[in-house]
Amino acid sequence: MPATTGVELFVPEMLRQYCGKARTLDIAGHTVREVLAELEREYPALYVNVCDETGAVRRHINIFVNDDHMRDLNGLDSIVTAGDAVIILPAVSGG
Amino acid sequence: MPDRVILTIGTRKGLFVAESGKARGKFALRGPFAGGVAVYSSLIDTRGSTPQIFASSCNPFFGMKVLRSKDLGQTFKETKSAPAFPKDDGRALANIWSFAAGAKKNEILCGVEPASLFRSRDNGDSWEMVEGISNHEHSRKWQPGAGGLCLHTIIADGDRIHVGISTGGHYVSEDGGKTFNAWNTGIGAGFNPDPYPEFGQCVHKIVAHKDAPGRMYIQNHGGWGEWDGPGGRRPDIGVLRSDDHGKTWRSIAKGLPSDFGFPMLVHPHDPDTIYVLPLVGQTRTCPDGAPAVWRSENGGESWKRLAKGMPKKDSYFTVQRDAMDIDALKSPAIYFGTTTGQLWMGREGGEEWECVFDALPPIHNVKVAVV
Repeated sequence: MPATTGVELFVPEMLRQYCGKARTLDIAGHTVREVLAELEREYPALYVNVCDETGAVRRHINIFVNDDHMRDLNGLDSIVTAGDAVIILPAVSGG
Repeated sequence: MPDRVILTIGTRKGLFVAESGKARGKFALRGPFAGGVAVYSSLIDTRGSTPQIFASSCNPFFGMKVLRSKDLGQTFKETKSAPAFPKDDGRALANIWSFAAGAKKNEILCGVEPASLFRSRDNGDSWEMVEGISNHEHSRKWQPGAGGLCLHTIIADGDRIHVGISTGGHYVSEDGGKTFNAWNTGIGAGFNPDPYPEFGQCVHKIVAHKDAPGRMYIQNHGGWGEWDGPGGRRPDIGVLRSDDHGKTWRSIAKGLPSDFGFPMLVHPHDPDTIYVLPLVGQTRTCPDGAPAVWRSENGGESWKRLAKGMPKKDSYFTVQRDAMDIDALKSPAIYFGTTTGQLWMGREGGEEWECVFDALPPIHNVKVAVV
């Protein structure tokens, strides 16, 4: 039995100010889309850093399910199961 | 008695605050705040007993934030929220271009990209979209300029609100923002087959003065004097004046080396005295590599070049639309920031110039207040 009821959502350090300094969050959902919807309900201030008003993941944010980028799975409809790691990572960009 | 000069300097790498006494002998610099993130707009709101500073933090990773300082720029905190489009709107905020103090206490107006206006009634903690302009019937026909489709200028005068949009033109509300009308008669559009369309102009900056009701000036997108295509030549469409609250406009560009530029100022104590910083239209850089501010003391009838202390050659920076301001001391100083990271100050209304900071990040925005 997994220790969590949902996925383990990893929050990068620069966004922890929006979720009580938590490094990881236990978030329910069967797909990445559902995980983000639950994130919006539970942590709206964190959510707006990850997705824009249209619900799209921001351009310079990458979301991984375990080791796989969600775009290489099924995008927002990628299946997740309890205990999976869903990782929010800023892209390498800038200058 | 106000005795401190406060400058906010929004750069590509964060916000800086500079402070000096009234003599402006030496400016102490602090920051960057929101380091590494571009700051395109700021506002020093001096209405209350404690001045507040607002700044936009335009984070390409995590979206837009509004920063607020209640201690004159010693510290900044994010407000509880930033402007955001309604979920079913379909648009997403790309940048925050302007702040202005609204007509009522704690009211802040905010212009964004894609071109829309937001209003906060609680000092920036919550925001509502101003639908009269954001969902104007023209809004889906506006086109982005090189900097994006931005609502960059807001002039709030009671129930009358002027906004400038690139490219959309000049719009006015006379009912506190419920409805807006395009008032662009006389404002040219060099990039359009019809040189004087109803809307779609690339207005760069609009200024007004409280002591001259109805008088307004625009730095428009000029640089079309040599156009030889359909519609004919469009000389001198870049610098304009209105005497009827912006309903109609006429050129005051004659005598300038170029009618292209971005910022424009009006003297704090004299509505007849205005300033522009002409640039070459094709390159957006100083004519002949010799930067200068040009001043008119008669409402645009004639112009004088002000460049004492500035480089005489080899200087090819750009000064962006919100990167020039003027303080309100008896003999005011003008300040402008460059895309090469220099902050210049022109004492005696621009008679004598000195470089205050010469190695900041590229500067988007400069505001000044005496507090």
